[in-house]
Amino acid sequence: MPDFKLKEVKTLTYDRPAVEKGYTDQTLYVNVSDSEISIKPVDAKTKETFIGGKGYDLWLLWNAVQPTTKWNDPENEICIAAGPMGGTPIYPGSGKSIVTTLSPTTASVIDSNVGGYFGPYLKFSGFDALEIQGKTANNAVIFIDGIDQKIQIFETTGLPNDAYALSAMLTEHFAAGKPRSTSVVSAGPGAKNTLIGCLNFTWYDVKRKRARYKQAGRGGIGTVFADKGIKAIVVRWDTVTADTNNPADKSALKNVAKLHSREIVELDPKQNEMARIGTTHLVTIMNDHDLLPTHNFRYGQHREAPNIGQQVYRRLFDPGFDGCWMGCTVACSHGVKDFVPLTGPYKGEKVFVDGPEYETVAGCGSNLGIFDPHTVVEMNFYCDTYGLDTISVGTAIAFAMECFELGLITDTHTGGLSLNFGNRLGALELVHQMAKGEGFGQIVGQGVRKMKEIFAKDFGADVETMRDIGMEAKGLEFSEYMTKESLAQQGGYGLALKGPQHDEAWLIFLDMVHNFMPTFEQKAEALHWFPMFRTWFGLCGLCKLPWNDIIPEDNKNTPEPAKVMKHVQWYADYFSAVTGRKATPDDLIEMSESVYNFQRIFNLRMGFGRREHDAIPYRAVGPVTEDEYVSREERYDNQLAEIHKVDINGKSTAEKIAILRNFREEQYEKLKDAVYKRRGWTSDGIPSLDTVKRLGIDFQEVLDLLDAHGVSS
Amino acid sequence: MITVSGKNFAWREGMTVADLLKEIDDPQPYAVVRINDTYVSRMNFENTFIPDGSEIFLIPMIAGG
Repeated sequence: MPDFKLKEVKTLTYDRPAVEKGYTDQTLYVNVSDSEISIKPVDAKTKETFIGGKGYDLWLLWNAVQPTTKWNDPENEICIAAGPMGGTPIYPGSGKSIVTTLSPTTASVIDSNVGGYFGPYLKFSGFDALEIQGKTANNAVIFIDGIDQKIQIFETTGLPNDAYALSAMLTEHFAAGKPRSTSVVSAGPGAKNTLIGCLNFTWYDVKRKRARYKQAGRGGIGTVFADKGIKAIVVRWDTVTADTNNPADKSALKNVAKLHSREIVELDPKQNEMARIGTTHLVTIMNDHDLLPTHNFRYGQHREAPNIGQQVYRRLFDPGFDGCWMGCTVACSHGVKDFVPLTGPYKGEKVFVDGPEYETVAGCGSNLGIFDPHTVVEMNFYCDTYGLDTISVGTAIAFAMECFELGLITDTHTGGLSLNFGNRLGALELVHQMAKGEGFGQIVGQGVRKMKEIFAKDFGADVETMRDIGMEAKGLEFSEYMTKESLAQQGGYGLALKGPQHDEAWLIFLDMVHNFMPTFEQKAEALHWFPMFRTWFGLCGLCKLPWNDIIPEDNKNTPEPAKVMKHVQWYADYFSAVTGRKATPDDLIEMSESVYNFQRIFNLRMGFGRREHDAIPYRAVGPVTEDEYVSREERYDNQLAEIHKVDINGKSTAEKIAILRNFREEQYEKLKDAVYKRRGWTSDGIPSLDTVKRLGIDFQEVLDLLDAHGVSS
Repeated sequence: MITVSGKNFAWREGMTVADLLKEIDDPQPYAVVRINDTYVSRMNFENTFIPDGSEIFLIPMIAGG
């Protein structure tokens, strides 16, 4: 074990408040520039309007930054919060932390949700949210000790850089012999040397006797963390029971928790088996439906996809309980035991790999033309331990590979790497280079938007081609679903507040496979309700998987099966039981609407958040290249002839691509109109005055901002 | 004999997934069915035969992700 030193810089002792109905009603502020530590009360208006979790994060961040604040300015904050239900050990999926900051890749607000014990332990230690500001050169470790009621900042030397070793070491150091009492947040060298860094949040696996971790991946939050000079945040808490969160009505909570928990135990083995294979079942299902991204989202299918599908991971995953929070019966956080990397600093050593999940398999596998599960697991391991987001890494490397294959860049630019699709060692080498901040990997680690600028400016690459095939929107790399044949999911990605991540809306099956929403109005309704309800999970500290990945057997007989209203009612009952604030399903949507619209306005404040910022690359909409068109020629020809009534006889492939593009781009603009109208926004995508008043977010600063953008009546 | 979501169901030679779904007359528009450990998607329902003794699970994929 390395010889490391922790030098105490500041200690604040405090009286821990009792948790009352899921809240502590105070937040913790830490500034690492001057080692300031303070505790702030939460007022009633904030609690009523922002609920908790992401809502609290956004309000704290709004008050900390200015419209001119950049991601690497000291005043930028990282905010972490659980939510009123966060930390309930008897209701499945109740251990999420939500993290927000100003993103290095989008320059606006990013949010990411993550499992692990940190958020619940933070709250039980006395804080509904944590905001961290400032920068230091001293490799700070922040220790929140809820047991001894003290907050400490340490300067450190000698700690390892990578999250795998660091998490284990700090868990042992701070746990005082009870490792389950500790959760560690850390990034890694990749986070420091790229713009697509993630944060690792640990939970302690008692059976395997090791710190396991989950990632707050999207938008470079880990990069902000590393830029602040923070090595880790550690929280320590004691035993957790159903009483720890002090629910308003424990009996009602137990009743609804039992219903949901038992249903998952009964039905998950009959449905997706997430307790056994996580989300890897999606690989072959997506492939069958032409939805699995391959070769930088060119195609949705590959004959070798089963090689990286669930039947392989069923064998690779180490069986056992894998819940990232206590008592969760979904327990989908699987891992690979005794994995031996073939490259990098852990080459030849046995390691435990947390994952992969579907997104990593698709992003670091099929989308790179890699159909070797060992490579996917190794990419997963190094991304985590280096603090890199597997989705952005996958989508960024895929873009670089396509540019290489199209001749937009050459091996002169890549440092000699032949970046053809399927180059497993090349992909791994880029990940190692990202960690070191060296070579072509340093460029790829800037993300797709910056790569496009660099390739054009320094390498003379064609701007229009890269605009069409570079899979980013708002500066965030796409997550791993094909959207060409689902207009609703194009909106699900393009209209998402933070950029193209599917956590707001995943409508592909409803739209494309089941054809449940043929009209623009139906799509717009879905792009209102689903993002709102999904947002609500982030306000409350919850995982959304129990809602609609395990479906009640009688769901098919309900009026709106896609919404799984039986579960929505359970969530309303759960909220009421914990907070004492009686809520109906409609109330949950309204809670989210307030925070959702506030986040849209936050984007506006940062110089974004208007119609032009909801653009998506044409690769997400339709076929860019002749190869793509020809590969699904019958489909596209039929659409042109039968839907759009185009006489295609005698037309070249290039002509047909151009005609199809006009139709599809026009449809996407019409979708925007319909969604903006449904959400109560102007045609420029800005929440109207009536909307902000109805939702109680008509703060003077908001009204002034709207007025400055011509929204005043 | 096979089981469908835990309930016994008569098996016959040559039975496909499409045949099974017609026979159980379930209103849910299933896009995916699992036969033991193998997931089968709708486009393959017609040409996927169900082995005797299989455990069949009907997967209501609607709005996951």
